[in-house]
Order: sequence, then structure tokens, then C-alpha cells
Amino acid sequence: MAAPLQLYCWRGDHGLPSVDADCLTVLAYAKFAGAPLKVHKITNPWRSPTGILPALKTREEGSFSQPSKIIIQLRKQKYNADYDLSAKECADTLAFVSLLEEKLLPALIYTHWVDAKNYVDVTRRWYAENIPFPLNFLLPNRIHGRQLERLRLVRGDPTLEPGEQLEKELYHDALECMTLLSQRLGSQKFFFGDSPSSLDAYVFGHLAPLLKIKLPNGKLQQHLNSLDNLRQFCTNILVLYFPSESREAPAKKVSNHADGGDFDNEPHKRRNQILSVLFAVGAMLGYAFLSGIITIKHTPARLEEPHVDEEEEEED
Amino acid sequence: MSLAAEAFVSQMAAAEPWPENATLYQPLREDQILLSDCASSLAVQAYLRMCGLPVRVCCRANAEYMSPSGKVPFIHVGNQVVSELGPIVQFTKAKGHSLSDGLDDVQRAEMKAYMELVNNMLLTAELYIQWCDDTTSSEITRPRYSSPYSWPLNHILAYQKQWEVRRKMNAIGWAGKTLEQVYEDVSQCCQALSQRLGTQPYFFNKQPTELDALVFGHLFTILTTRLTSDELSEKIKSYSNLLSFCRRIEQTYFEEQDRDGQSGTSQLSKGPSLI
Amino acid sequence: MGTVHARSMDPLPMHGRDLGVNPDDLEVVEAEQETKKEILENKDVVVQHVNIEGLGRTKEDYLGYEISDVFNAKNLIDVMKKSHEARQKLLRLGIFKEVEVLIDISEGDDALPNGLDVTFEVTELKRVTGSYNTMVGNNEGSMVLGIKLPNMFGRGEKLTFQFSYGTKETSYGLSFFKPQPGYYERNFTLNLYKVTGQFPWSSLKETDRGVSTELSFPLWMTDHTLKWEGVWRELGCLARSASFAVREESGHTLKSALSHAMVLDTRNSAILPRKGALLRINQELAGYTGGDASFLKEDFELQLNRPFLWGSVLSASLWGGMIFPVGGRPTSIADRFYLGGPTSVRGFGMYSIGPQNEGDYLGGEAYWASGLHLYTPLPFRSTRGGLADLFRTHFFLNAGNLCNLDYGEGPHAHLQKLAECIRWSYGAGIILRLGNIARLELNYCIPMGVQSGDRICDGVQFGAGIRFL
Repeated sequence: MAAPLQLYCWRGDHGLPSVDADCLTVLAYAKFAGAPLKVHKITNPWRSPTGILPALKTREEGSFSQPSKIIIQLRKQKYNADYDLSAKECADTLAFVSLLEEKLLPALIYTHWVDAKNYVDVTRRWYAENIPFPLNFLLPNRIHGRQLERLRLVRGDPTLEPGEQLEKELYHDALECMTLLSQRLGSQKFFFGDSPSSLDAYVFGHLAPLLKIKLPNGKLQQHLNSLDNLRQFCTNILVLYFPSESREAPAKKVSNHADGGDFDNEPHKRRNQILSVLFAVGAMLGYAFLSGIITIKHTPARLEEPHVDEEEEEED
Repeated sequence: MSLAAEAFVSQMAAAEPWPENATLYQPLREDQILLSDCASSLAVQAYLRMCGLPVRVCCRANAEYMSPSGKVPFIHVGNQVVSELGPIVQFTKAKGHSLSDGLDDVQRAEMKAYMELVNNMLLTAELYIQWCDDTTSSEITRPRYSSPYSWPLNHILAYQKQWEVRRKMNAIGWAGKTLEQVYEDVSQCCQALSQRLGTQPYFFNKQPTELDALVFGHLFTILTTRLTSDELSEKIKSYSNLLSFCRRIEQTYFEEQDRDGQSGTSQLSKGPSLI
Repeated sequence: MGTVHARSMDPLPMHGRDLGVNPDDLEVVEAEQETKKEILENKDVVVQHVNIEGLGRTKEDYLGYEISDVFNAKNLIDVMKKSHEARQKLLRLGIFKEVEVLIDISEGDDALPNGLDVTFEVTELKRVTGSYNTMVGNNEGSMVLGIKLPNMFGRGEKLTFQFSYGTKETSYGLSFFKPQPGYYERNFTLNLYKVTGQFPWSSLKETDRGVSTELSFPLWMTDHTLKWEGVWRELGCLARSASFAVREESGHTLKSALSHAMVLDTRNSAILPRKGALLRINQELAGYTGGDASFLKEDFELQLNRPFLWGSVLSASLWGGMIFPVGGRPTSIADRFYLGGPTSVRGFGMYSIGPQNEGDYLGGEAYWASGLHLYTPLPFRSTRGGLADLFRTHFFLNAGNLCNLDYGEGPHAHLQKLAECIRWSYGAGIILRLGNIARLELNYCIPMGVQSGDRICDGVQFGAGIRFL
């Protein structure tokens, strides 16, 4: 108790305590285990002691960033949510966490960071709006690049192209994974009976963003919504363990719709149209001029040569 | 495979019975194949034997590049090419051969979860030891991996592969681990498997499933492959039920079948025996 | 271009830049000079000095060989002719942007009464020239950067570097060229490259990274090239649906090959010749110097052209080749021969003749192909020259065959096999000359002797090519 643990994680939104799956996992686990953490909800990963979020700062052993390591640290401090589990249940926890990481996580990365519409409309927008100025121009792209790279390496395909084929494969795995989780959960309140464990934290961390963040391309969301027990499971955890966040949710939605108004504003629209046309024409002319310099110099020399000769021949 | 193509393939596959000339491709057994590939290949062979589907094993130096997913093993059945255990299981299922039909929903969920546990921890640990442990990679992995190629291609390809695996380890957060931590993970994984298996003959009671094939493939290969240190196989040897599980599958599906005079179709398979 | 106007004694500069030497134009110059011989009086002269002005980094000794001939001129016509030749030689070196010739009466203490000074005023090319291009193809864009360092060390050395960065592929090439001083045709080239090719007819993707050294030299009327090439080839399937035969060839191989090429070319133009013949023989021995591929490959090309009635040209060509695997190793899909397409056996799909597997063409170990053409100028054209000169119409008859050889049966069986099931086609079309390097063809073709598995292109076929049957 004497050494307060400090947890740094992404700020929450959309009715979630944090927007990031790993942060959510750690936050949920800490709640389940009753660990008294000093939580810093920030939007600048550079302020984290490890440079990435989430990060747990302990007094004796430094800082940790991977959820599994953070959970081990919390366990060491005697905050253990898995205390009551049997050996077999511990084995199941390990297995289902692997299932999440292998099957669901790639699809989550894809849906948030790679799917063009979701990324541009929601993910990048959120990070760009929330990360403080000048970093907000830099970080979203960097995270995007890193996530794409990760997806490539995990799939073992260096030429991986985001596209329909990849999406289908990933979503196929992810949908199956969600169905399996739903089957495993059955009608129980938590995965191992009435009290939550680390597996519940992982599942909640991965599924809650899907449930709460509205995405334009929401195939995964639709499937999750059709699995009543999983949806209920996530909502329950939100209500029971994060009551303050779940109440905020409706207020945020209004602001999302506000930007639709811009398009109805007639004079602005006309002016913007003219400006954009002018810009496009200018750019095209500029390009034509620039590339023209190169071609104009070469082609006449080639084409006119035979011409000139003929004239000379006739003179004689 | 896209879903549409998959649907088409399963339709096609259902129409055709399993042909006699089905072939499994893997890297050269003596000189080239690595622990992780050998384990995956053995898992597929064990699975097909459990299903009673004959397959001829064919060793090719370029098996990795022939595979549509870049991973070995893959099977060539009729005019279909399918790689890795997961898709192969789906493929045989479409042809009416399945080992997991008798399971209920929860069991099937658990089976898939444990399969991912093996892929996530055992397979990754194998890759880590092969490519990220300097002694193993310089003494065993790189020479074996590059054995079919001539200078200077052998060095280029081996280092290229090593670089790629190390970047993957970086991306999934394994790069910071020490060898000891990886052994600890393997131990943890075996502990989980051993707990799940308990005293049953197979993971889901009397009948083997694809999970049994996968676990057998990895454990058996680790137990029978010599690396620079014995530590990896020692981790497994401390779980006696896993050892006897491996022995049981070897006897039932490899030794007995081979003895039954099918030597033609089962031109084998796995290298040394456990005993 | 570059003609010497010698009607007055005033030193007249020669204008223009000619980098692409057009054989048609050279004839014109010769004819013109013949006529002028009579106009001018034959007066003995002595060339006392030959100067080159405007040299920067170019070493003078390198140019000495090219201009020394001017000293041997005995009369004014000779001086002009030799100066003209020297100018051509200087321009051919590829290190000057412009060369002008000034012929003047010698001045100074040691000036002879009939002494002449010849001065070449040259403008060197810039030390570094760069180019930048963007290309957009189907579903792919790329950016090409080129850097050229002509005359790097002052003796005609040239270093070129090209880098293409695409959305899918990157490729590059670095080449160093060094001619023998005074003997430009004898030269040495060193190349370093990476190229990627996609061959949809075989569902094959090939990435080559290689080094090659080349030695070129003329011998009597022929040009020879000796080459060693070491290349790391990476083959892969273009699509998941690729046939298993192509899949089996995927992976990395190393090829080290010695090759020799001989060219005898007496044609007046490389693309639309009126007369002359071309003989090209290639031979390649792979595996002797290491690597995974070992074979002996022989390949020849013969083309004969004759002027025919009313300005038309009759042309006949024959190609053939064979590849012999050495040491029991089968040949690779990347080394075998391919046939068919709009510039070889017309009327068939691009490289879509011969052995195939599930629709992917695998190439053959032996082939022959022949063509008979009648080229005519465009009908209804009013005057010679202009745009119409770039066009020809032609009627053609093509035949060819491609197959694999079973080496147990002996040479007679091989010939028999090549003579069986001949593919042939005939038709007519229009040809457009693109510069002096390539041509476009739009043909109406009627394929005959089609074998099962061949892909045909019945009717209109369009194509571009550097090499054509």
C-alpha cells in the first residue's frame, strides 16, 4: 500500500474508460483485483515512462508496458484476480488469451487501423483531435504504420495489401473467435463463474471498443451485437466497474453529428468548389509544364531530323 | 482463401473423394527442415493419419516458396493446394472427414483455444530459439536453412529469414525476452496442456482431435530433435502424462499403421522414435 | 543535318546535334560530297594544327585517336571529309553535346603558304545529368529516377544509375561503361541490377538481382559480346490460382552463365529495313562457373531483306534455338524458350504456344519460327517524307513450333518432333516505327495449325516489340 502504483493509459471516450484495448485490459484487471492504482489518463504517449501506453510505473522494479507483464506485476503486489481459479482454469485462461491474440487481435487492428474508412473517419480523427499539437500530426501516422507492419509480420506475408481478400480472412477468424467465446461463456456471468478473472479482463479489453466505438464499417460490431451474452458481459463490466464512464456516453454522440452541418452551408460550398477547381487546374498545368520541359527538348530533335534532310536533298 | 473461393472449394471438395495420390510437401528431412517446420509437418501428418487419409510425403528444398501461404507443410490434393493445419482441417471437413464432430460447443471452443495456445506459445518459442538464440541460429538453424543453396545465396537467404523472424518477435513483444523467459513460457504452456490432459488418453477423452495432432506434432518433434542444449526437451519431460500421450499417438498412428503393411502410402513421416 | 557546305572558302561551322545516327541520312551526305568534288579545284594543302577547344574534364590524349586522321588529308576536299568524319567520331563518343569544325588558314611564324588549321569547338555534356519520370500502369504507379555521369574520368567512361520506386516493386540498375581509347567499339561494361518481371501467361513473377560484365568488340564485319552474368533469381506465383507446375518452380536459384553473342548486321535500318541482312547467334553456358542452373543454350536469328516492286520490301526471317540441360538437372521455367505473340508467331496469344499446365505456359526446350513479309509504303500518300514515312503496311506468313525434347531418342527424333504439328498464321496489318528502337503493329491475323492448349488471337491483334519475326 505504501508504494502507490501508477498506471498511464489512453484517455477514455465513447463511454469507455480508455479507447485502447490493452489499456482497457489492464484497467479492468486492476478493478477486478482491487488494486489501488493512481491512473493517469493521458493523450500523449511521450509522457508515459516507457514511451508507449499502457505503462505501469512501480517504485522497485521500473516500468512495464505489456499487459501480461503489468498483470504479473500486479499479481506480485498481491492483487490477484485469479486467486480462486483451479489449475485447469488457469490453463484455460492461457488458452483463451492465446485465442484472442491469434484470431481476434489481427482483425481488431485491421478494423481500427487499416480499414481506410474506419481509420480516416474515426481512429485517426480521434487521435488527431486528442493528441496535443504538434504530435497529433506525427503520432497517428506512426501508430498506423506500426500496426500495419505488425499485421504483416504476424501474417507472415511481407507483400500484404489491405483489401477485400485480407479483410475476409481476418474477419472470418474473428467472427469464429467471438462465437467460440460466446459459446464458452454460455449463460455465466463471467468466464469462470461469478467473479471476474484475468481472462474476463482480456475479453472485455478486446471487445468493449468494438461495442462502444461506432465505426462506418462495422461487420465485427454487427456480429458482436448478435451474440447477446457477450454483449451483456461487456455492458455488465462497464456498469459494475466503470460506472462513471458509462454515464458520459450519450453526450459525446451529439458532437459527432455536428460536422454534417457544414455541407448545407451554401456560400461556403460554392467558394470551396471554385477554389478546389482552381487548385486542381493549377496543379495540372504546373505538372504539365514541369514534365513538358523534359519532353519538349527531346522529341523535336528526333522527329525533325529526317525532315530537314529531305529539304536539303531537293536543293541540290 | 476468400470466402467465396472457400465455399466453391468446399463444394468441389465434397464432390470428390480423397484421392490416393494426395501429397504432403515439406522441406528436405535430413539436411534442411527446421524444428518448427518439422513440428507443423508432423502435426498435419498425424492429423491425416487420425482421419485415416493416406498421404505421400514429398521433400522439396523449395517447399516454403511453393506453399501458397509461404508456410510449410502444404498438401496437394487433386488440383487443390492447402497449407497449414487449420485450413487443412477445414478442407478435410468439407470432404466429410472430421475428428471434432463429437464435441459440444464448449468443448470445441476449448479445443480451438488450446490449439491457439500451442501456436501462440510453443510455435513462437520454437521460432525464438531457432532464430533469436545466437548459438542455435549459428550452429544449427542458419546452416540447415541454407543447405540447399550455393554461395552467396545461402548466407543472404538465411540472414534475410532471421531478420524477418526477429522483426516479428519485435512486433509481438517477444524481442525483449531472454532465453530463460522463453523456456519459462514453454514450461507454462506444457503445464497448461498437462493440466488439460490430466489422466485422459486424449484431450477430449477417448477420441483424438486436431488438437491432439497439433500437440503431438510439436512435443514429439521437440523431444526427438537435438538442439544445442537439452533444456527445451527437459521442460516437456517433466510432465509424464504428456510423454505417455506422445508415446501413445506414435504407437497407435505411426508404428501400427506402418506395420499393417501400408508401407507404400506412409513413406514416412517422422524421424526417430521416442523409445 | 551536319552537312558541309563548301561552296565558298569561308570556314563554315557545321550545325546541329546528331546523337542518333540514322543510316538513311549518312547516304545522303556521301552523295552530296561526290557532286561537289567537281566544283572545287584540287589544291594541295597541309594540315598543320588540329586544335580542340572547349575541353574541360576530357583528357586530350583520349581524343587524339579520333582526330589524328585529319593530318593525313592532302587536299581541301580531303580535309573537309576527314574533319567531318572526325566530328562524327567525336559525337559518337557520347561525351559532347555539340561539336563544330572551323577550318582556317594557318597563321604565325611557322605557317606554310598552303597550311591549314582545323579547330574543333566542342561543348561537353554536363558532369551529371538527371531525369525524373512518373509512370502509371494498371493498378500500379512508379517513379523513375535516373542519374547519368558521362565522361566520368575524362576518357569516355560513363556511369548510369536508374532507380524505380513503385507502389509494388522497386528496381534499380547501375552500369559502368568504359571504351578503349581510340577504338570506341571495343568496350567494357559492368552492370549491377535488380529487376522484377511479371509473366501472366505463365502466372509467374520473377525478381532478378544480378551482376554482369560485358566485353564488346568488332571482328571483321561482325560484332561480338562476351558476357559473364551472375544472377540471383527469385521465382514465385503471380496468383494463388497458379498451376502446380509453376508452383514447383518457385523459390530461389543462382545462375552463373558465360555467354557469347555475335551479330552481323548489314541492314540499312533496324526497324524498317529496305535491304541487307541480319544474323545473330547467341550461346550461353550456365553452371560451369557455379550456381544452381546448368545448361547450354543456343539461339540464332536470321533476317534477309530485298527491295521489291514499287518501293515495297520483301523480308524473310528464321529463328531457332535449343537448350540442353547439363548434369541431369532439369531446365528452369525462366530459361526455356517461349513463342507466340504479336511480334513473333502472329495470331497466337503472347507466349502462348506449346507445353502448358492448367493454362500456364511452361516454355519449351527447342523451337523454330519463320516469317515471310511484304512491306509496302502506305497507299495514297502524296510525297515522300513526313509522318507517313513512319508507317508501313505489311502482309505476312508466319510459322513455328515449340516443344520439349526427350533426350533419350536421339537427334533425328528431335527434328521429327519439331516438324510435327506446325503452328502457322497469315494476315496483314500496319506498322508504326517508334524512333529507331521499336515498332508498333496492328494486324489482322488468321491462325492455322492450332494445337490443343494454344491460346489464339483470331482477328485483330495489337503489339509492340523490339525484336520481331
